[in-house]
Amino acid sequence: MPTFNDFVSTLKNDLLDFTKENLEEYKDEIFKDGNAFVEKTKEDLQRWTEGLASGALSQADFEFLLKGKKDLAKMEALKHLGLSKIRITKITNGIIDVVVGSAVKTFL
Amino acid sequence: MITKAKLLVLISIITFSLASWSCSNISVFSPEAYKKAVDLKVESLELMSFATSPYAESEENVTYLKTELRKAYEFALGRPNNEISAEQWEVLINEEGNLLGGFLKRWEEEDTLSEMFVTEMQMLVSDAFDTIIGLESGKIDPSELK
Repeated sequence: MPTFNDFVSTLKNDLLDFTKENLEEYKDEIFKDGNAFVEKTKEDLQRWTEGLASGALSQADFEFLLKGKKDLAKMEALKHLGLSKIRITKITNGIIDVVVGSAVKTFL
Repeated sequence: MITKAKLLVLISIITFSLASWSCSNISVFSPEAYKKAVDLKVESLELMSFATSPYAESEENVTYLKTELRKAYEFALGRPNNEISAEQWEVLINEEGNLLGGFLKRWEEEDTLSEMFVTEMQMLVSDAFDTIIGLESGKIDPSELK
């Protein structure tokens, strides 16, 4: 007859597999998004500097755009904070499945 | 020695605790909030393109848009566990900030804005709306919650 220790051992292995799979995927997503933001910022800065030099943008325009980029970065960070929370909720739901699945595997 | 019954109770407690915690963490997906954000993105970018002309010509439309933006913010603020989305709206429409709210204020103060500035601001505001839309569309559909 399976014991509580058997259940804990099954659960540990199942949780380890589950966590590895989910965290790897999430890490890649954040890295990709962060890189895209940095690249876009570089391109924007280059265009704005050229605009300032040619007179298409005033000093005030340039400063406003830079500050706008900072506000946008804040909104982007908030998006990632929210998506992290969603991810945690999904992982928690997944853990519930793993706990129940491990119990079923061990005892039924 | 833990009996099977005790074990089942323990598993139920763990499952229930996890489920309660995960449900209260962040709001679920709202089709209404998503639609509001998409509609306002389109309307805002369209109105911004008139900022190279005198403010007075678009004043009525700006007033209307500001009201709609305020409504969207209040809607986000009123939803439970929705502080992050509400904060995004706040940054976007803040008149002292440098996105849509600040842009509309500057247009009013300066009467007309340069073409390049308007185009560049449209790109920033478009990206800003996308962060709101991206977060909303990433939220869990209520039907997926256990």
